[in-house]
Amino acid sequence: MAIGIDGTPKGTQPSAVPGGRTRRDVARGLRTGALTAALAPLLAAFRAPERAPGRASFDRMHRGRRIQGVRTADGHWHVTLDGRPLHLMRRADGTWLSMVDHYCSYPTPLDAARAAADALAPGERLREAGTEPRHQHRGGRHGVRA
Amino acid sequence: MAYVRKDAATLTATEKRRFVNALLEVKRRGEYDEFVRTHIAYYASDGERGLRTAHMAPSFLPWHRRFLLDLEEALRRVDSSVTLPYWDWTRDRTARSTPWTADLLGGNGRRSDRQVTTGPFAYQEGNWRLRVGVSDREFLTRDLGRRADPIDLPTKSDLEWALKDPAYDAAPWDSTVTKGFRNRLEGWGTGRGSASWRNHNRVHRWIGGVMLTAASVNDPAFWLHHAFVDLQWYRWQRRHGGARYLPATAPGSGDEQHGRVVSRHEKLPPWDVSPGELEDVGETYRYA
Repeated sequence: MAIGIDGTPKGTQPSAVPGGRTRRDVARGLRTGALTAALAPLLAAFRAPERAPGRASFDRMHRGRRIQGVRTADGHWHVTLDGRPLHLMRRADGTWLSMVDHYCSYPTPLDAARAAADALAPGERLREAGTEPRHQHRGGRHGVRA
Repeated sequence: MAYVRKDAATLTATEKRRFVNALLEVKRRGEYDEFVRTHIAYYASDGERGLRTAHMAPSFLPWHRRFLLDLEEALRRVDSSVTLPYWDWTRDRTARSTPWTADLLGGNGRRSDRQVTTGPFAYQEGNWRLRVGVSDREFLTRDLGRRADPIDLPTKSDLEWALKDPAYDAAPWDSTVTKGFRNRLEGWGTGRGSASWRNHNRVHRWIGGVMLTAASVNDPAFWLHHAFVDLQWYRWQRRHGGARYLPATAPGSGDEQHGRVVSRHEKLPPWDVSPGELEDVGETYRYA
């Protein structure tokens, strides 16, 4: 197997669009946005704030860990646990999985971040940013120590 | 002549020792960490653009079959008597049964920090320092059965639910497909919570610690688990009269999965081999 020192396989780069967004993702985002606008008052009355669709950030404590997430302009989520990046992946059904809890998925980025915090051992911390190899399929960093 | 992969529960003391020593030598040579990196690099998710090979795709089984052969070849360069054992998690179901013994993979992680402190892969033995991982910990971690909120390993009937499906896989060839042997075995379910982690995925969850992360290859349990998963492909083929890998041909240009899955005769990255060429490996190895 040919694989670069940074974890990037050589000569097997599949096609990727900048930022890794698919047309389907964009369409889903637009639909979610319209739905949010239409149902906002209703949702505000019945749902916890962090679960409202379309909400663009969260910042909370969970079992002693600070979980923060911001949806970036290109629609990705930048999530951190105690200030260190937690890479998330999206499933085709719209759910999310993290590099810490990699074999099941969760309805929202916040749920995935909570599950990652639960899966880490007491005192265990994610690697610091900038110390991880690149993942091949879209050139993004996945929060992995090289 | 084909060599034999054995049930880990049947290995002799000598076979266990030679398997463990070969793993430690592959690790010492720096080859092992390349396997960890490769699995991370080829784990692409289906909600994102790009080719999927290792997971959430029909090639889940041939990809891991070839991956196991690479490791097995590395082990056999060290000791030609060694083959990969498999762990039958439908039968050896507790934190104290095979393979969690001091003469094979070592036991559960301790409660305080989930560090594995027994067996040949315990950090204090000095031979198993994790260099590629998602966290700052350099020792192997496990949380067998998830002590804080216990779950069970998949059962024989869970496996049967996958084996009885006569189709290898089905469109859209991803983690959302509810029929087909491949995803029923890989284990991506719908809904949330415990019921949505099946078979292969559920075993990663049951072991926990490093095995739950993107760097799961760091736990040698990865190989024993995936050898048993690989055995299921052979069993499924036998039961269904030599049923073939699907898709037989690549999804067309108008298909959402065009360019995103590997069909039967396309090359399966990172190797120069197709899923069709990996369907029958009876000349290389067989299972006892």
